[in-house]
Amino acid sequence: MSDALLELQGINKHFPGVHALKDAHFDVRRGEVHALIGENGAGKSTMIKIVSGVYQPDTGDIMLDGRRVEFSNPREAHAAGIATIYQELGLYPELSVAENIFMGHAPTVKRFGFRAIDWERMEAEAEAALAELNISNLDVSTKVGALNVGNRQRVEIAKALSLDAQILIMDEPTAALTESDVEQLFSIVRLLRERGVSIVYISHRLNEVFELADRVTVLRDGEYIGTHEVKNTDEGELISMMVGRTIENLFPKQEAEIGEVVLEVRNLNRPPLTRDVSFKVRAGEIVGLAGLVGSGRSETAQVVFGVLPAESGEILLNGEPVRISRPSEAVDHGIGYVPEDRGHQGLIREMTIRENTSMAVLELVSKNTFISRTRERLLANHSIRQLSIRATGPDQITNKLSGGNQQKVVVSKWLASSPKLLIMDEPTRGVDVGAKSEIHRLMSELAAEQGLAILMISSELPEILGMSDRILVMREGRLVAEFSREEATQELVAHAMMSEQLRQAAGASL
Amino acid sequence: MTHLQAEQPSPRNPTVSEKLRHLLISQEGVLFVIMLVSVLFLATRTDKFLTVDNLLQQGRFMTEVGLIAIPMTYIIITGGIDLSVGSILGLTAIVLGWTWQELGFPLELAIITGILSGTLAGFVNGLFIVRVGVPPLIMTLATLALYRGLAEGISEARSARGYPEWFFQLGQGEFLGIPTQLWLLIVAVIIFAIILARTRLGRALYAIGNNETGARFSGLTVNRHLLFIYTFSGFMSAVAGYIFVSRVSTTRSDMGTGMELDVIAAVVLGGTSIFGGTGSIPGTIIGVVLIQLLKNGLVLTGVTSDATIVVIGSVLIFAILVNNFIQSRRGE
Repeated sequence: MSDALLELQGINKHFPGVHALKDAHFDVRRGEVHALIGENGAGKSTMIKIVSGVYQPDTGDIMLDGRRVEFSNPREAHAAGIATIYQELGLYPELSVAENIFMGHAPTVKRFGFRAIDWERMEAEAEAALAELNISNLDVSTKVGALNVGNRQRVEIAKALSLDAQILIMDEPTAALTESDVEQLFSIVRLLRERGVSIVYISHRLNEVFELADRVTVLRDGEYIGTHEVKNTDEGELISMMVGRTIENLFPKQEAEIGEVVLEVRNLNRPPLTRDVSFKVRAGEIVGLAGLVGSGRSETAQVVFGVLPAESGEILLNGEPVRISRPSEAVDHGIGYVPEDRGHQGLIREMTIRENTSMAVLELVSKNTFISRTRERLLANHSIRQLSIRATGPDQITNKLSGGNQQKVVVSKWLASSPKLLIMDEPTRGVDVGAKSEIHRLMSELAAEQGLAILMISSELPEILGMSDRILVMREGRLVAEFSREEATQELVAHAMMSEQLRQAAGASL
Repeated sequence: MTHLQAEQPSPRNPTVSEKLRHLLISQEGVLFVIMLVSVLFLATRTDKFLTVDNLLQQGRFMTEVGLIAIPMTYIIITGGIDLSVGSILGLTAIVLGWTWQELGFPLELAIITGILSGTLAGFVNGLFIVRVGVPPLIMTLATLALYRGLAEGISEARSARGYPEWFFQLGQGEFLGIPTQLWLLIVAVIIFAIILARTRLGRALYAIGNNETGARFSGLTVNRHLLFIYTFSGFMSAVAGYIFVSRVSTTRSDMGTGMELDVIAAVVLGGTSIFGGTGSIPGTIIGVVLIQLLKNGLVLTGVTSDATIVVIGSVLIFAILVNNFIQSRRGE
């Protein structure tokens, strides 16, 4: 370990009521990509916040280049060459790309005895900084707010490097990116590695670890579990290290008896993202809806759920035509929708588990419009048991739960309404491996044992292939392909997802 | 091993002493203590303050603000605001007086017409907020001016007076030794406090205030709820307008000017977050009472009216600071 650029030893960190890191250690070598993985609450965030100076460890040493260092705030860590790119990007949307990159250290020039910003030099240097990352298609004078997420992230990386960072920490950098942005990000990461920059890469997606990282460190419940060379390990080993047990089957799909058609949509239209869409979902069936980000999957689901009412077309439930112009009507017809954006659409995070689980079934837990807390509590306790939600009790605020447990609360809210059709939009995004397999098992049980019809939207092809009885593919607002479980392969589905241009761009790689 | 189990957070029901402690350090509890201290302090300064007659008289004066503060609490909980309540009160008063004196309506019908106009004014606020998506602050700021303008236009600067004796029963009369309108306020407070705390409507309002999108995605009829509370606000302002006319015996177009600020101050003092999501009717009513008693008590102790406003402003800031401090400590 003498070749380590950064080394953390015996780190302990307590928060009120939580021992967040227990004698943890971690090291980063020069010019490597080191993945840091673990379930939600494993201590990854605490670890990187200690490295980047946000938190100070209670005990333990941080060695940088063989010397013991202490960071009492993020600025000191910055000065020592450690930069962090958070999930929530720390940019100023109203300022230009160049201004953002040089925020706090803009080149200056003396004018009329005052120090003024040297705009020309700043823009030129900003262009140079981006060019070093092989980015040439970005105008440095545009406002950052006008850029898409991928470009904003590139600006942030350029900003970090303009401070001569030797260590770049990336926290879930691909969480909000489209597929093509992910590819660009990967090539930037590889480029930086060649230049000797060390990268700490935090991700939920194991395939990214295998594609990108040289070494991987696993944390669990605040404890250091182990570090492996990526080439000497496999997915199964990492998962069992993360969850402390072996998960036999990531996609525990049960054989289900497929029944009557529950939902049928005919020529559903709401341009631009839902054009002439027709499909059926049967009882007991899990239908996977695949497509690139922006292909209209969520929008189509929201047309069915009444958030974006259809402009034309028919929706039939159990053979009966129904009119759905707002979500409350969809709920009345027995449709549940687990939305993509958990914090904003799925949960009311400031409210308790009890209040969230009863949100869609208030009439069931009340008598003459008076809500019965007892019945609500019974329902919440039932949900907590059924989905093994890890919480202190029904009156815990959902904001305090981990991502996976929050998602379980959203699912339980809809299960309480005993829907005929459950639409699940990215049901396991941002959810750790353990909770992910629990949600998958639950979906499978609901379909097989209760005959629930499930329409599942996912950007993860393994999830689509592993869970679906039938797979629909959308592109540019239209349904373009359908595959049975047997005939579907990753290549076929991916190929259908991409447009002609993308397919050509991808060339022979597929 | 029993003491070990006691440390486990278990879903048992809280004991009475825990409930009491909980109540005392709640927003409402802290405010109540501040109110008691203020009352006791004022009582030592003058013996005219803490008398049954004076307190009942104050109850009479605060009824209008109190009635409007109920829907205002609902609205602020959803993250909205209604600045037009004072103007709606004025408009109602003018319509009542004008239809009776100028159009020759029977007084009963004039009262109903007035209240319906106020309710309609609230409904129009709600309609634009829900259907057109005008932010509540902008919409009600516009109708604050618009409804006041209407009232002035209709009244042509004339005031209506000379109402028959029975008309004053509500604003000046007594029932069982207590001012008539105070009964109305007490009943309204109890009913609407229970509705907010215990019913589906109340739950929906909190949900909307915390996360409107989330509420919509859960199948709650958000628009219908919002339309209802702004209409309700118009209705309560109209009722307050009727009581106002009955209390002061005359109708003028500037009635209720600036009242929206008194109402909002009481609601916010009562612990309702201006950002929505939290608040309660008991808190609001303590806020209303506290402000009214301070105003009255300070005047009675001989403080000039300028100084009274300064003291009330300071008490508001102090109460909010103390509450923020206690609530943030409690959140740890």
